[in-house]
Amino acid sequence: MADLEGVNGQREEFRVVGKPNLPGRLSYALAAGIAKFGIDYAVPGMLHAKFLRSPYANAKIISINTDKARSIPGVADIVTWEDEDIKKLVSEGESFAPKEPWLDNIADHEGVEVGVIVVAENEDICEKALKELDIEWEILPHIVDIQTGRKPDFPVIRPEERMASSMFGPPVPKTGNVHFSTLEQGDVESGFKEADYIIEYDLNMPAFASHMPNPSGSVAWWFDDPYHGGGKSLHLEGVAWRTDLAKDAVGRMYKMPPEKVIHRGIFQGGKYCDWGLRKSQEITPLLARRTGRPVRCMNTRKDTFDFLINQRFIHMKVGFKDNGLITAIDDYSIADGGARGSSSFGTSGDQHYGPYFTTKCLNIKQKMEVVDSNRGKMYVSGQHCPFNWDSITMAIYLIAEKLGKDPINIARLNLHGPVSQEDPEPVPSFEACIETGKEMMSWDWHSAGSKKLPDGRMHGASFRYQMSPRHSGATYNTKLELRNGIVHMPTQGPCTGIFAVEANAMVVAEELGLEYEDVIVDFDYREPFFPVGGGSDGTTASAWVMKECAHILKKNILKAAIDEAENPPARSMFEFGPPEDPSPFKGLKPEDLDMEKGKIFIKADPDKSVPVPKAVKKNIFATYSGRPPLSIWSQGMGKMLDTMNTAYCEVAVDTETGEVEILRFGVVADTGKVIRRTSLESQIDQVMYFSQGCQLLEDFVYDQRTGVKLNTNMFDYKKPTIKDVPHVERDFLESRAGNAVYGASGISHSLANTHAVIIAIHNAIGVWVDPPATPDKVLKALGKA
Amino acid sequence: MHNNEKINGSGKRTSFTHATAQAQAAGSIEAIPATVKDFRCPVCSKDFSGYPELKQHYTEDHPDAVIPVTVSLNINGKDCEVLIEPHWTLQRTLQFRLGLTGSKLMCDRGVCGSCTVIMDGRSVLSCSILAVECEGKNIQTIEGIAANPKWKPLVDAYCKWDAMQCGYCTPGFLVSAKSILDKNPHPTDEEIKEALAGNICICGTYPRHSTAIMEAASIMAKEGE
Repeated sequence: MADLEGVNGQREEFRVVGKPNLPGRLSYALAAGIAKFGIDYAVPGMLHAKFLRSPYANAKIISINTDKARSIPGVADIVTWEDEDIKKLVSEGESFAPKEPWLDNIADHEGVEVGVIVVAENEDICEKALKELDIEWEILPHIVDIQTGRKPDFPVIRPEERMASSMFGPPVPKTGNVHFSTLEQGDVESGFKEADYIIEYDLNMPAFASHMPNPSGSVAWWFDDPYHGGGKSLHLEGVAWRTDLAKDAVGRMYKMPPEKVIHRGIFQGGKYCDWGLRKSQEITPLLARRTGRPVRCMNTRKDTFDFLINQRFIHMKVGFKDNGLITAIDDYSIADGGARGSSSFGTSGDQHYGPYFTTKCLNIKQKMEVVDSNRGKMYVSGQHCPFNWDSITMAIYLIAEKLGKDPINIARLNLHGPVSQEDPEPVPSFEACIETGKEMMSWDWHSAGSKKLPDGRMHGASFRYQMSPRHSGATYNTKLELRNGIVHMPTQGPCTGIFAVEANAMVVAEELGLEYEDVIVDFDYREPFFPVGGGSDGTTASAWVMKECAHILKKNILKAAIDEAENPPARSMFEFGPPEDPSPFKGLKPEDLDMEKGKIFIKADPDKSVPVPKAVKKNIFATYSGRPPLSIWSQGMGKMLDTMNTAYCEVAVDTETGEVEILRFGVVADTGKVIRRTSLESQIDQVMYFSQGCQLLEDFVYDQRTGVKLNTNMFDYKKPTIKDVPHVERDFLESRAGNAVYGASGISHSLANTHAVIIAIHNAIGVWVDPPATPDKVLKALGKA
Repeated sequence: MHNNEKINGSGKRTSFTHATAQAQAAGSIEAIPATVKDFRCPVCSKDFSGYPELKQHYTEDHPDAVIPVTVSLNINGKDCEVLIEPHWTLQRTLQFRLGLTGSKLMCDRGVCGSCTVIMDGRSVLSCSILAVECEGKNIQTIEGIAANPKWKPLVDAYCKWDAMQCGYCTPGFLVSAKSILDKNPHPTDEEIKEALAGNICICGTYPRHSTAIMEAASIMAKEGE
């Protein structure tokens, strides 16, 4: 569905939108090092706080003696889970999990906050005091190997129901350590009987770190506030926000009305689909209240290794006809449910929205075991949406291999039409993507292990498609102001790396006939406008709302220009000089006027124009609250299709050393409409580098005996560097078929993949290597190690 | 006239320019205290009138603790003296004693380059060097680079090309970029990649850095003619 319900959704001429190289509004602050992230704040006289972090994967504090720790000079306060102050705390942050004690004596993964918080004059004293705690632990059985943990005879690590309810479905039942989630449509058995071929394969996904660049934390203090009644007000630095769901979440946690909370945190760092509040962001107000001093609490780098993907083992059985048409899909997954409070994205939440629903196959069975574990926690995430997408990518590849056909043709055969799974029509966006992609990549398919490069390495390639999602259903509250002739766009931000504020400012400029630089963005935490709701899906949705608001402002400006032409405002006693010429707009109607280049002009006689500040003296405000029509993506969950994207990967594999080089990635994405080109390009690079990381480098390593994560540092947990990353070819199509601003759709994380590189490696050497495909694993797969 | 400095319809300038950031960076340098004013005990937060009194306090009240020391540094051209505990890193000193937050702490162990500063002409990782080892050294931080009009083309190019996303690692990259250009005014793409191999960006801005640095190099060469 294109943007048909709003104003100017089908605008054909763009002066600002789509333009590259327009600096971000906060880019200079970031580049100059003056932008302050949570961890950067230091306040005179502040104390520091640190949590006790569990050394065990699963354990319970039986008793604790804090006397020795309290006697250390410089220790200001020690609170435990048994303190009434702690017992009263209830997190207001975004969570898919049942409410649980904010801090208790149970540690369900190594490194988790448990039992105790120490407040001291500095972090070193905190560490010293934590070491002096006399703790009696009960060490419990742990699960860091989910294949072991799922066995019926394995001790139950979490007897109570802790499974998060699925975002898209009801809670799932549990037996032992395993939650069972099954989704079935059609008749799978009949589908397999109908098939000419049946293939079975395993697809294993490693866990992948969220790894925000900036460790989370906050600084808080209480202050006398003469402007908002009696009692103290709260000042918070470094706390993340997240739309209306959790806005002012920390303030609400302390029963504070929003007007009594200064709630900063505009620079949030790379929170890519990780909006979960950390305890270090929630605890400082309590500690500041108890001690009467500002308190800073920061996570370390080690504390910041949470999951972006949980581990999953998928066994697939796919039936298909001799032309490649899939007749039945049976997906049996074993997924890591993680520690308490882990998001259901990546587990049961995934089953409801593809990728199988993008095919014509009506016989689909998805059975999942979600295994409670002590591996770690996944906060709200969706970087790989859904996580199992590449199970269909691999099916298409294997069918192509079996039949000696190009996987693009197999994908094309199986993809259903725009309306439903039974719609045989091609999806125009997909067709356009593959046409462009084949040309861009000089696509020349070959079967596995059949192409050697001149340097002796083996060449492999892969192809993948996804829907371009716009899943944000959030309402956005926009406001625009004409003040002293200048257009202001007030917003609370944030700055998270996706340039959402900027995209909105570009739309405002477009609609009001201004240049991008003419729109002043006022960053203020009190403002309701928050342009984020995911990645580009939230940006394009909020920009739709902003477009409507800009249109209202424009109408009001033009009406005011006529009003002031008819009834010029009285001159103040401080205005000197000759009287102004009569307005050329006298006798006209608002619809006779338009705006361009900061001027209001007569449409029938464009030479007659007046600069906005001169034509409209009074201040004008416009507001609009709402959201664009729901997207096809969110309505269809795969069963309806509009904007699509495709990705390509070429690798070279050295069969002597096992080294894999990604020769290039290719991406052709139908964005609907490009809004902010430069950051779009960079986001595409980013998602491909994410994908490279999890397929070639990244994996959590555990000591199975103790359950301790062994590589929560940047030496041992490898992220790609500038020397590692390949070239990313990109092309953006503008079908205008999305429902957000000007027909834009989000790309978000839909291009993130777990197996595009892995499939290309198989295409090079004819054997499977599970990610991350490190050289030793490649050699082992080749029987050389 | 730079893109960001256009006159808008109202005749007023927008305020998100290099000039604003430059002024703020310069202000943060200006605010660096030249001498130690607060002789506060890091263990118990008692204030003392001078270093001898603080030392005496340690002897009497914290006999097992290591006494803080004073270190003289030259930060972005400004001489200053700081009172720190001997185990403090340069990054910690910059942040907690001098109020300079541009040297970011990401990996905390010399892997990511986010805390890069230039010390006596060499790029160093301020999270992995003790401040006491920097006695008498000339240290350039991102604030010093941003405050210097000479480096405007580099800052401009970084902003124009979005050589940042979340922006947390960006100052470290910019310091490394400046260090490259100090040594090689016309670096190639390969030379830049080699020089930036120690800076990690989680947001995937890698290809942007070469573009920005080479554009800045070109502009700076023309300005120097």
